[in-house]
Amino acid sequence: MTAAGIALDQVVADQPTAASATWTAFRRNPLGLVSLAVLAALVVVAVAAPLIADYPGGYGPAVLTPPSGQHWFGTDNLGRDIFAEVVWGTRISMLVAALSSALAIVIGVLVAVLGAYFPKVDTMVGTVVDLALSLPVLPLMILVAALAGPSLATVVVVIALFSWPEVARVVRSQALAVVRLPYIDAARLTGGSWLWIIRRHLVPAVAPVIVVSVVLTASRAVLSAAGLAFLGLGDPNSWSWGRILYEAQQSGAMSSAWWTTLFPSLAMLALVVSATLISIAYNDARNPRTREN
Amino acid sequence: MPPVVGFVARRLGRAVLTLWFATTITFLLLRLLPGNPALAVATPNMTPQTQAILLRQYGLDEPLLVQYGKYLWQLVQGNLGVSITQSVPVTDVLLERLPWTLLLTGSSLLVTVAVGIPLGVLAATRPSGLLDRLVQVGGVVGQSVFVPSVAIALLFLFGLQLRWLPIGGAYSPGVYGGQWYLDVAAHLVLPCVSLVLVQLGSYVLTLRATLIDSLGEDYCVLATAKGLPHRKVVWKHALRNALLPTTTLVGLQLGFLVGGAVLTETVFAYPGIGRGIYEAVTQLDYPVLQGAFVLLAATVVLANVVTDLAYGLLDPRVRTQ
Amino acid sequence: MRLRLPLVAVTALAAVVATAACSPSAPSDSAAQGGDKNATLTIATTTDVVNFNPLLGNSRTDGWITNLMYPRLLTIDANGAKQSYLAADRGYSDPTTGFYELRGDMKWSDGTAVSAADVAYTINTIMTKKPAGNVVYGQLANVESASAPTATRVELKLKRPDATVVDEVGFWMNVVPKHVFEKAPDAGTFANNSDWVSAGPFRLTTVAKGQSYTLERVTPYPMAPAGTPNVAKVVYRVYPDVNTEILALRNGDVDLIANALPPAQVKTLQSTPGVKVQEVPGLGYAHMTYNMTRKPLDNLKVRQALAHAVDYEAIRSVVLQGQAVTTGSSPIPPVLKDFVKPDLKEYAFDPELARKLVTESGVGTLRPLTMIYSLQDAVTSQWAQLVKDNAAQAGITIELQGMDRNTYLAKTAAGEYDIYAGNFAIMDDPATNMALTFLPDGAINYTKVDDPALSALITKATATTDKAAQKDLIWQAATLVHDNVYDNVMYMQNLYVAHSDKWDGFVVKPSELLSVVDPQSLANARKVG
Repeated sequence: MTAAGIALDQVVADQPTAASATWTAFRRNPLGLVSLAVLAALVVVAVAAPLIADYPGGYGPAVLTPPSGQHWFGTDNLGRDIFAEVVWGTRISMLVAALSSALAIVIGVLVAVLGAYFPKVDTMVGTVVDLALSLPVLPLMILVAALAGPSLATVVVVIALFSWPEVARVVRSQALAVVRLPYIDAARLTGGSWLWIIRRHLVPAVAPVIVVSVVLTASRAVLSAAGLAFLGLGDPNSWSWGRILYEAQQSGAMSSAWWTTLFPSLAMLALVVSATLISIAYNDARNPRTREN
Repeated sequence: MPPVVGFVARRLGRAVLTLWFATTITFLLLRLLPGNPALAVATPNMTPQTQAILLRQYGLDEPLLVQYGKYLWQLVQGNLGVSITQSVPVTDVLLERLPWTLLLTGSSLLVTVAVGIPLGVLAATRPSGLLDRLVQVGGVVGQSVFVPSVAIALLFLFGLQLRWLPIGGAYSPGVYGGQWYLDVAAHLVLPCVSLVLVQLGSYVLTLRATLIDSLGEDYCVLATAKGLPHRKVVWKHALRNALLPTTTLVGLQLGFLVGGAVLTETVFAYPGIGRGIYEAVTQLDYPVLQGAFVLLAATVVLANVVTDLAYGLLDPRVRTQ
Repeated sequence: MRLRLPLVAVTALAAVVATAACSPSAPSDSAAQGGDKNATLTIATTTDVVNFNPLLGNSRTDGWITNLMYPRLLTIDANGAKQSYLAADRGYSDPTTGFYELRGDMKWSDGTAVSAADVAYTINTIMTKKPAGNVVYGQLANVESASAPTATRVELKLKRPDATVVDEVGFWMNVVPKHVFEKAPDAGTFANNSDWVSAGPFRLTTVAKGQSYTLERVTPYPMAPAGTPNVAKVVYRVYPDVNTEILALRNGDVDLIANALPPAQVKTLQSTPGVKVQEVPGLGYAHMTYNMTRKPLDNLKVRQALAHAVDYEAIRSVVLQGQAVTTGSSPIPPVLKDFVKPDLKEYAFDPELARKLVTESGVGTLRPLTMIYSLQDAVTSQWAQLVKDNAAQAGITIELQGMDRNTYLAKTAAGEYDIYAGNFAIMDDPATNMALTFLPDGAINYTKVDDPALSALITKATATTDKAAQKDLIWQAATLVHDNVYDNVMYMQNLYVAHSDKWDGFVVKPSELLSVVDPQSLANARKVG
């Protein structure tokens, strides 16, 4: 959370006209571009999963066979094609990431913006966010997921429930700075309602932070979801990367069949790393100070 | 010295508030989510009557507020209750695991800081250089890996193939005296390395970012202009200021660390609090769960209070904030 | 300023010191070095010990360790037949009085003799305290009370004739020391976590929760070869992740893995140098039950449709890697050769027939059915997937609900499922097991079946001492169960455990509960390499 958090804090709220300058700078960053390509590829895989591989169901005669021409990523303990599992897992893993991050963002931004706009509420918001940040997140996720019963909805809600404070923290610090800027005061003076000001001025001003927050929260959600799945708290009815790893663990295949863990782990790594690098490159590109380098 | 007293009081008040918050959240989650601890010991031969008796025994048949009041009162007295499945005081259950958690997180924190500072400094002094890029990408990759996969790979390589290190556990039974310490250290290496791997990235990247900012500040520019050697500017001046937010962040992260080691502890068979929480969840052992969360919160609060107080007393700027 | 870094260091060091403070001290009477007789056997398990009170039913490891400390009256051999252990003789003096005659040479570790009073106390305590999770409680349904007329004779006063209770209770129950347990405020919740008074080949000496449990040899131990166990120490070590556990065996950190190996690992380990794989016969079965109190599962055609929508052969060959045998969809596991009814045939996998049966049932479109199973049961979790996929081929939707063991047990007890998937480790006596499984008030009647004809057959069978007559009744009952799909028994699994080839002498007993870690086996195990 930290690196990106700090990077986020530095995002400056500049005008929409800076968008093209940002893009120009972003394009000059090879890491950012490669990451963008990787992320795009993963999205394509997720969307086009049915065209790429058959749904991994049932079983096959060849159990735990290493990668070959027939099974690119080998087979698992029930003889299912791991390539197909990874492809279809991309779909669910990214869906969980997108949904939980969306939910976390909505809650986090709402709390942060309201707090920033109404100073009376802000002390409380600040305290609650700080308190929530000091909670042991993973154990609490385990607790809620186990008690609520494993399902996709549970996983999404659980992750969102414990991710919004980080979003709120980052967005709030940015929003607090924006609220003090003269144009917000001007908007107030013209007699705009608070809802209008927040919607038309405050939220757009913190939009860049939100964008980065979405990417980072989503990528971290992938790891959280996999962690829950690894402990058996994922959804057993759909394929996610975490479930592939969980089944490898349960069948004792991790100790002898490297392909059962390597490929889903790599897929996860590719998604999280590319998302993080994109947000870093985006921040660098927006920041005039680093743009010069 | 009233300002100091006020500062201390504020920090302590905050600590109590944090503890209360963690306790209450856990209390509510356990009560409001489906399932109840009588189910933990539910068996086919249990009748509804037996279940009701068990609920009464655990005091779970009372109104929520009464339960809450009683629990807080017990807590204030230092009583965490009795484990449902193990029939021993929760304090005993947790204190058996706490030292291992502290050892694991403490040592991984230490290694992270020891390795992280030089790496961060090197990266920040030559931004966009090859080393900086490597550190950046390495840092991002480090915090993006899925711990169990790496953990098994480490065990396979260093435990089975090279046979340098033991596989799993915190120490070997039947080893005593001086040898015991070596044995504990040998068992600690791999879990510690995998935790460091995950933390190091964020630590280095944070330090790098704050350090680059500090180096751009007037006092550093001035120091360089005065003709101070660059190395001295970096290590003596910029690093000083960059370490404060970075280390505070580490304190904040302690909650993640202590509890977040569940996966590491599972794979390495390390008997820490995280694994204990997981087991208490599967056994629906409410008192142990509640106690564990209170203990985690207390650990984090304690670490933060100690760091805060020390900083505050040392650094007048913080004190007057 | 320079203090900041050290602060973190100090915190960490404080932790190190805190840990160091609890460095264990070496036992004063440390055994002399060298020699086969001083070997330590290290056993790996995936679950931690929850409780040391054998009256409570908890994790598998609890059972393994308490078995070494609290003797059973009877044991079973590799064929599932009951053999004398603490009880030298047993039987019925009249139809409503059962008895055990104890061997007189066993002593608790504090020197007190293991007496009939201990046995009677254990039985009566189970009946009055109903300790959570105790399996014997359900078997005591026909018992009025237990008494100890002499120091070695135990008598069970029965409410009605019961031909199986003496054998069943004798095998399942661990005898606890009366003089220790009666001092506890409540024997049903007694933690029993220190100063153990035990009577087995090994006694527990050191406990490191979450890590290891050390037991030391007891001499003399009458049932060990030459009156003394071969190994000096038995250490149980906890590895929550089975992969780490297997690595530890291959590495030599542990000598034996007590839990059954995941089926897919058996072949790998068989060809691993330094590792020996031992087959352990199964004595139970895996099954699915259809909750008849829930519509439309009360409809026979629907149950038949479900039974024909499972590829049993694929489950056995893929999930279990051929390490399982069919029971012919009969509730009598094939290991009980005397009772098996050979003409019962397994439900054929036929999605078309299943579709047809659903149509014939007249229930219209079948609603999605929930299937619960325990996530701690890796094999069931895997075949649950196959069952779901197979059913989909027949147009039947099954929603998987894998859950933690306790939630699963709770849901099972509350009947909150359409389909229950699970397994019983030991089904050692057909009459008793059918009574528990199919009588309306049976403890494990997960189908919630209430068929008067079946109940009559089973009740009669439990009260019949004549073997041939009992067999005939059981055959009739098994046929009823098979034809009405009152239970869908899928296979009986043969288990495999792995140990280092530096060890031998293990005595194999059926089921994972006994396996090679039963007291008799560990008393005979010896280091050879």
